Amino acid sequence: MAAITGNLRVIWACMKKDMRSALTERVFLIAGIFMPVNVLLMMSLFVLAGSHAPTAVVMHDTGPYAQAFYRAMDGAHSFSLSTANAEDAQNLITEGKVVAVVTIPSDFDARVRANEPVQIGVQINNLNTDFTNDIRRAIPLSITSFYGKAFPNLVTVTPHEIDWYPQTTDYIPYLGVSILVISVMVGSLLQSGTSSAKEWESGTIKELLLSPASRWSILVGKMLGAIAVSLLAVILVVAVVVFVLGVWPTHWDEVIWVTLLSLLIFIALGTLLGTLIKRWQPVVALAFALSVPMFFISGAFGPISFQVPVTQVIAKIFPVYYAIVLQQHAFHSFDLNTFGVGLNAAILMIYALGLLVLTTLALRRSTIAH
Amino acid sequence: MFRNFFRAVGAITKKDLVVWLRQPANMAAMIVPVLALLLVEALGSAAVGRSPVALVRLDQGPKAVQMAQIIHQADVFRLADASSESQAQLMLKNLDVVAIITIPPNFSQRIAQGQPAQIDVEVNNLNADFTNDIRRSVPDAITQFYQAQGAASPIKVGMHESDLRQRDVEMFQYTILPTMVMLLMLSGLVSGGISAAREWETRTAKELLLAPVARGTIITGKVLASFLITFGLGLFVLLLGYILGWTQPEGIYWISTLLILVLVALFSSALGIALGALLQRMQPVTAISVNAAFYLFFLAGGISVLAFEPAWLQAIAAYIPLTYGNHALQMAIFYSSSDQLGTDILVLSVSALVAVGLGVLSMQRNIAN
Repeated sequence: MAAITGNLRVIWACMKKDMRSALTERVFLIAGIFMPVNVLLMMSLFVLAGSHAPTAVVMHDTGPYAQAFYRAMDGAHSFSLSTANAEDAQNLITEGKVVAVVTIPSDFDARVRANEPVQIGVQINNLNTDFTNDIRRAIPLSITSFYGKAFPNLVTVTPHEIDWYPQTTDYIPYLGVSILVISVMVGSLLQSGTSSAKEWESGTIKELLLSPASRWSILVGKMLGAIAVSLLAVILVVAVVVFVLGVWPTHWDEVIWVTLLSLLIFIALGTLLGTLIKRWQPVVALAFALSVPMFFISGAFGPISFQVPVTQVIAKIFPVYYAIVLQQHAFHSFDLNTFGVGLNAAILMIYALGLLVLTTLALRRSTIAH
Repeated sequence: MFRNFFRAVGAITKKDLVVWLRQPANMAAMIVPVLALLLVEALGSAAVGRSPVALVRLDQGPKAVQMAQIIHQADVFRLADASSESQAQLMLKNLDVVAIITIPPNFSQRIAQGQPAQIDVEVNNLNADFTNDIRRSVPDAITQFYQAQGAASPIKVGMHESDLRQRDVEMFQYTILPTMVMLLMLSGLVSGGISAAREWETRTAKELLLAPVARGTIITGKVLASFLITFGLGLFVLLLGYILGWTQPEGIYWISTLLILVLVALFSSALGIALGALLQRMQPVTAISVNAAFYLFFLAGGISVLAFEPAWLQAIAAYIPLTYGNHALQMAIFYSSSDQLGTDILVLSVSALVAVGLGVLSMQRNIAN
């Protein structure tokens, strides 16, 4: 009983000490808390803006077929349309304000009515293949859907879409959840990594290790301290996802336990990195700089199985992937792999346990070496 | 006089470079994630715009065969032929494919009779990104099907494409340059900031102050060290991109490319020194530097095409010097163009000078304190 009480006292003392230490570096603390929110807002902002290609349409013909074609383009899930005269449109594309200029010729209606060939001019600002290929595909889509509606007897082959889900989740609600995981990762690595590395850098680890306290209780205390501080950032990010981006979770309980489990994993990983690297500067640089590649590799944009095989293999090495799968299920009830919630959670738990063991081993090994 | 100045600058630069080189973990932490990001972008680009799809052909007729061939050749999907509907359903359920395209049993017959012949497209529409790709790609294939009929095609509306630029740039290539600029910004801010803050944290600032050299000399030496580190990293990434065939400026555009790297490195290094001298502590300098580099990366169009963003975002970007760095590098490397190069150089030069001025002011004020 006395041993348990003693360990609890050590845990409490280490936790309190780390929280107080964090409070002494206020600028760092504030930057660390707001960094995940910054990541969330910045990524969301640019994904939101980049989903539709700004396109100018020059309507040399305003007849019913030309109007119908314009409507077909509007429904192509690709364009942010505006009409302009030829001169303005040319200026817009030259200045890089629009991706494409679509010109509907003056004899469009007459030629369509007479079933004669007619060419729609498409000038593309082919800056990169992402936008360019979207345009190259969206114009044929508009042509086919225009014919499908205007001449259902002539163009008989049409796609018939059957959706799995009652509604398609937009870019921001989907990505916001993935970014939440990355934000938790950055905040946790930052907090636990610096707290751990600074013990080595300032030499205070010797005092901790020479004390009669058990290694594991020191470790648990330090990790709990980091969790308590990181929790502020996590709450802030979840609040932004729910209240600012308007993504209401379908399983609140799952959001909470997945977030806490992710937090535990990344805190353990941060503590391990701090213990191994023993210098806070590279730990901080790694925590921030890893966020972008992790975001792209871990299936933030959709199921990882839709990516090329090499990407799938790499993604599955990191816990971020499983955390994203679980959070997408918690928020949207999506199943992004075939493992199910239980197995994904079990994998995350194995990561957590593995990292805890590795961190303990690293601490013990370092003790022997120093 | 000049000899003494250069000797002192050289000594300070050498000292800062040696300190930096003694921290291989810092170097690795700066370079490894950037290399990882480049690798990830290259891998990710292989899947962009080509979603995995299962094709089920339930009709053996000539039109169905032709349609299937066109879907195969369309280069808009990563196609897997399914022998049966149940196999395709299993692939969709296992998330091996985004969608199932089914050519129905009476497809050829219905076309021959002029009756509607729908191609079923069952989509896992969990997000708009993949779903819209499919929504664009299937009609693309249908259009190609009709085009293959030549003069007999009922679709008489065609598309006449003209491109503004001579070559298409792959998406991942396009994102390399902002990544490189972010590396320059991050490296300059962190290395410059830490080198300045360290002088206060280790109290060596006093020794510098008491040394018989002008304060301008100290600042020049420190900015130069940070600049050399930063420019070296930028050059490393550029040459790596060149070897891999991703970023290959041609002829005279090598000069403009290197000049832009120099200006961005100088701007970020000087800003780092100013920040370090102002905050005088390494930890907050690092946190603010990384946050600042992150913000500037996004606001300068790091993951998007800035010109296609809303006007208010473009207005903000106009005040971010990195916007001009990104633009000049894109023009020089991808399009062999010097479009608005004068403006880009002017903005970056003025920004670098202002940053050096801020560094001088900050250093002088805090040395005095």
